[in-house]
Amino acid sequence: MVGQQCFEVVAGMQWVSSGFIFRHMESPVHSLDPRTRLLFAVELFVLALVADSPLEVSIVSIVVVSLAIVAKIAKRLVRTMSFTAGFAVMILVINMLVGQPLVYSIVLAIRFIAIVGGTSLFFLTTSPDELEYVMKWFRLPQDMVFAFVTAVRFVPVLMLDATQIMDAQKSRGLEMQKGNFIKRIRNFIPVLVPLVVTAVIRSGELAEAMESRAYGAVKKPSSLYALRMRKRDWATGAISVMLLVVSLYYFLVIAPIG
Amino acid sequence: MIKIESVTFKHQNGTVALQNVSLEIRTGEATAIVGENGAGKTTLVKHLNGLIKPTEGKVTVFDLDTKQTTVAQLARKVGVVFQNPDHQLFSETVSDEIAFGLRNFGFPESVIKKRLEWALEFFGLTEYRDSSPMMLSGGEKKRLCLAIVLAWDPEVIVLDEPTVGQDLVQKEKLREVIKMLLLRGKTVILVSHDMEFVWSLQPRVIVMAKGRVVADGAAAEVFSRPEVVGEANLMKPQLLELSVHLKNPPQKPFADIYEARQWLVSSVSR
Repeated sequence: MVGQQCFEVVAGMQWVSSGFIFRHMESPVHSLDPRTRLLFAVELFVLALVADSPLEVSIVSIVVVSLAIVAKIAKRLVRTMSFTAGFAVMILVINMLVGQPLVYSIVLAIRFIAIVGGTSLFFLTTSPDELEYVMKWFRLPQDMVFAFVTAVRFVPVLMLDATQIMDAQKSRGLEMQKGNFIKRIRNFIPVLVPLVVTAVIRSGELAEAMESRAYGAVKKPSSLYALRMRKRDWATGAISVMLLVVSLYYFLVIAPIG
Repeated sequence: MIKIESVTFKHQNGTVALQNVSLEIRTGEATAIVGENGAGKTTLVKHLNGLIKPTEGKVTVFDLDTKQTTVAQLARKVGVVFQNPDHQLFSETVSDEIAFGLRNFGFPESVIKKRLEWALEFFGLTEYRDSSPMMLSGGEKKRLCLAIVLAWDPEVIVLDEPTVGQDLVQKEKLREVIKMLLLRGKTVILVSHDMEFVWSLQPRVIVMAKGRVVADGAAAEVFSRPEVVGEANLMKPQLLELSVHLKNPPQKPFADIYEARQWLVSSVSR
């Protein structure tokens, strides 16, 4: 049904984005210091890059999923990874078309899924606030941190706006899936224009509100909360580094390929 | 006529927004849906033009099952005026904005021209016909959104929070528009937190709380039930309070401020 298809466009967008949007939860992973979680993400990234056989990259992917199970976000992470699988197939096909061996193409495809999964694991378990603290801890410029964190924070808001705008335009008889290819692209204009306009209005309002609350009055504002590494954060971090070293040794020295 | 039969709606994340709601809205009736934020008012209204399909139960609009009908087909009969004008204005001119819906519904150009002129004139927007809708003031944007929907002359008009950000004069004008629509036999459904405005129309009032209908009846009857007012966290309309607390209360509570004024003036001069 036409109306249903239109609904599916939005539902699909939400489905994909929900793989990166933080939700408050209680799990062993969520309770770690965000820097430890970032360390996990970096380690998984390195492992995914170093792993060079289909078995090895698959193991890295399984580790990502296992961590997600511990963090109670497996369902959403698998969702992101299965969406990524579409691109992974593309990577596989293109590599084979340009004459790369099959095994190597498979490694590249699974590696892509593992990297996206690892990154998504970090974003799914890290609140925008924690993200801000981590970025500040890296001594990134205040304005940059604020802009980045605000962008992350506003993704769900924009998704909600998009849904409401689509509802409003459908109620005026707009059928997005109707007509030929060009017409279908043109059908997005009544949705995109209000989406951009509301985003611009909102950013203006946010800027004024921030200024009224003395944003930028001091160069280095203090924080209400400070990150603190507890024993278990150090311990988990240390164990993960050890595992990384062992895995690297195995991947590079014991079972190298090529 | 709109029939809502045992409708339950669950969001994807499992939260229940509507729970076993059954209602019948008759043609030509003025109905107000009131209740706290999150009570399910907007969700209910979105069922009427098929934006949301019921998880369980059935909604029929003029004998069309909303599950079997597209939003565009239903929207021709049920016009919804949404709360936030910025969520729908996108055209280069006010005229184009009004004509957009008419074109979507396939009206011939000669009819579009006529309807457009009527809508511009009726809502006092003629002088802005070639201006950008983005340049209008908040109140004008609200009026434009109403003009957009009334231009295609739907049988049922749903107004979601039409009085937000409107001054008294605009509210009074809106009240007149609604009365005119009712005189022309249209069905008007109003979703509002503005109890004074709701009261001034003396509609059938449907009170919602936690996804259920907790009361349904004439305004005076519903607002006089303390358990309903308490459960839905409503404020009684001031005119009703006044009518009840007078030493010699009138036979019927004051329907509007004019009635109250007349009564008070005559009782003082007595």
